[in-house]
Amino acid sequence: MSLAPFQVVGHALVGRQDLPIPDWLFAWGASVVLIISFFVLSFAWHTTRFEEQSWRPGPRWLTVAVLNPVTQFLCGAIGVFLLGVTVWSGLNGTEAPDRNFAVTFVFVTVYLGFIPFSVVFGDVFRAFNPWRAIGRVAGGVFKAIAGQSAPPALAYPEKLGRWPAAAGLVAIGWLELVYGQGGFQIVGLTGHTVAVASLVYTAYTLVMMTLFGAEKWLERGETFSVYFHMFSTLAPFEARDGQVGIRRALSASTKWVAEAPGSVALVLTAIGVTTFDGAGEGMLLNPINTVEGWLGDIGIGPLAALRLSNTLFMALCLGFVAGLFWAGIYGMHTVRTQFSTRRLGDLFAHAFIPIAFAYLFAHYFSFVVFSEQAQFSFLLSDPLGDGSDFFGTASSGIDYAVISANLISYVQVAALVIGHAIALALGHDRALKVYGDPRLATRSQYWMLALMVGFTSFGLFLLFEANG
Amino acid sequence: MQSNAARATVAGVLLVAVIVLFIVLKGGDDDSSTTTAPVASTTSGETTGGGQTNQPDSEIPTIVVKDGKPVGGVQDLEFTEGEEIRFTVDSDVSDEVHFHGYDIGKDVEAGGSVSFDVPATITGVFEVELESRVEQIAEITVNPS
Repeated sequence: MSLAPFQVVGHALVGRQDLPIPDWLFAWGASVVLIISFFVLSFAWHTTRFEEQSWRPGPRWLTVAVLNPVTQFLCGAIGVFLLGVTVWSGLNGTEAPDRNFAVTFVFVTVYLGFIPFSVVFGDVFRAFNPWRAIGRVAGGVFKAIAGQSAPPALAYPEKLGRWPAAAGLVAIGWLELVYGQGGFQIVGLTGHTVAVASLVYTAYTLVMMTLFGAEKWLERGETFSVYFHMFSTLAPFEARDGQVGIRRALSASTKWVAEAPGSVALVLTAIGVTTFDGAGEGMLLNPINTVEGWLGDIGIGPLAALRLSNTLFMALCLGFVAGLFWAGIYGMHTVRTQFSTRRLGDLFAHAFIPIAFAYLFAHYFSFVVFSEQAQFSFLLSDPLGDGSDFFGTASSGIDYAVISANLISYVQVAALVIGHAIALALGHDRALKVYGDPRLATRSQYWMLALMVGFTSFGLFLLFEANG
Repeated sequence: MQSNAARATVAGVLLVAVIVLFIVLKGGDDDSSTTTAPVASTTSGETTGGGQTNQPDSEIPTIVVKDGKPVGGVQDLEFTEGEEIRFTVDSDVSDEVHFHGYDIGKDVEAGGSVSFDVPATITGVFEVELESRVEQIAEITVNPS
């Protein structure tokens, strides 16, 4: 492989990549997936477990601790402050991506870090969302001056649903993986790019919030809010009517897709973007380089050829994931035809949220563990990479020995297997509701089962082929 | 219910068969089992499998850099945890050779060479790079022992 002669600005954020999972673990993982699937199908429950509303208010102290105005204001202020730090360090800091606060903070700490917190604790991003905080302050000021709330200028077109958020997720993925990276080299993702992107996104979000109403846009269009909210539907906590409550874990996801169009696209995009990142380091590495070569041969500049080739394969991955999903749903439709394929897709898509989470967890677990060491040591003390040392941690580095390659492999496979089991449970539960009778439900689930086994085995395969 | 269970069994058995077949076909080239010890002579002979260019203590791999690029592309070197990672870089340009992850940088002069000898303590895949050119010259894999 010959490296194209464009100027790269630095290497990857962390200096270590995962080993592929060993053969035997791949085989064991795949076998366990099949065994679990078989058991779920044979000994499944007969009444739905996750479909009912089960929210009840939690202990009073929890509400007081979390939802009091001081905490809310502080969390919002932290969000706005960190957005400011991101822009400041991005614009003024070093070009080296792994030494600039902005890159790791946006693409690892926020974009990946909030996902597991959402799954466990619910919609915590809402509290820290800087744009929501700005919107609330602006709304408060308006109310103080005008004596009434500002009415949204436009009614949000409900047909758009969550599509703007899905499109935003594609854009963020593209910025990180296509514009910003080639192979393991970071080619364009400097702190400066991240700062500009943050400013553009902030402007876009504030305009949209003003046009359609802050809460509406945060529910439907603001990518981070919608994306983290999707994962938070798996969590056992939810704030409702000013009270923190407890609900059965996973149960909120059963309502999520029906709320708005574009939800299926969001789940599939989450899986597709992760697939592209995983495959691009393994089995798609050579095809991507080959196409890059062809594009170079027809006279396209090296950097443009690399990005074009990556864009093509990213689209291919998104298409592949969507194609696989809809093919499986179509198969289900042919078994029992009273629902259209599209309706079935809407009915069962929420069962793929755990699979999306499992893909993300398996792929990024070690990366986050290593990156956060950097985030909370030298990037915190020296955000610009100019030699300052605010907290005395500027000279610490990343300790790559904190997790071993074996441990990483086990965590990766466990994530996929557990995600698969939860996905099956949600799918079965939905089938019980849709078809009523457990027998029909089980029969209708062969296609769903095949689809989920397909996704999980493919996820295992990506880990097996990683960096191959 | 019975016919469903029967069908599920058939489907399950079929899928298991596919997986087993895959493992059998896949497992042809290297020893993936830890239980079948009888063929110990072959396992010790080829420890970590194909693609390995280095033999401990016999030959230290050399990465030759010409015009600031590795001859023959990025070199893949494989080691096992607990071994010594040994390699030499012969370079026709002066630069810093940076071994990422282990975070060791050594300067090399134009026409000179520099040697690395590091205990393989961290498992994973690591880059070796000509730091100022941001040119990757080797990829070092350290497998768990």
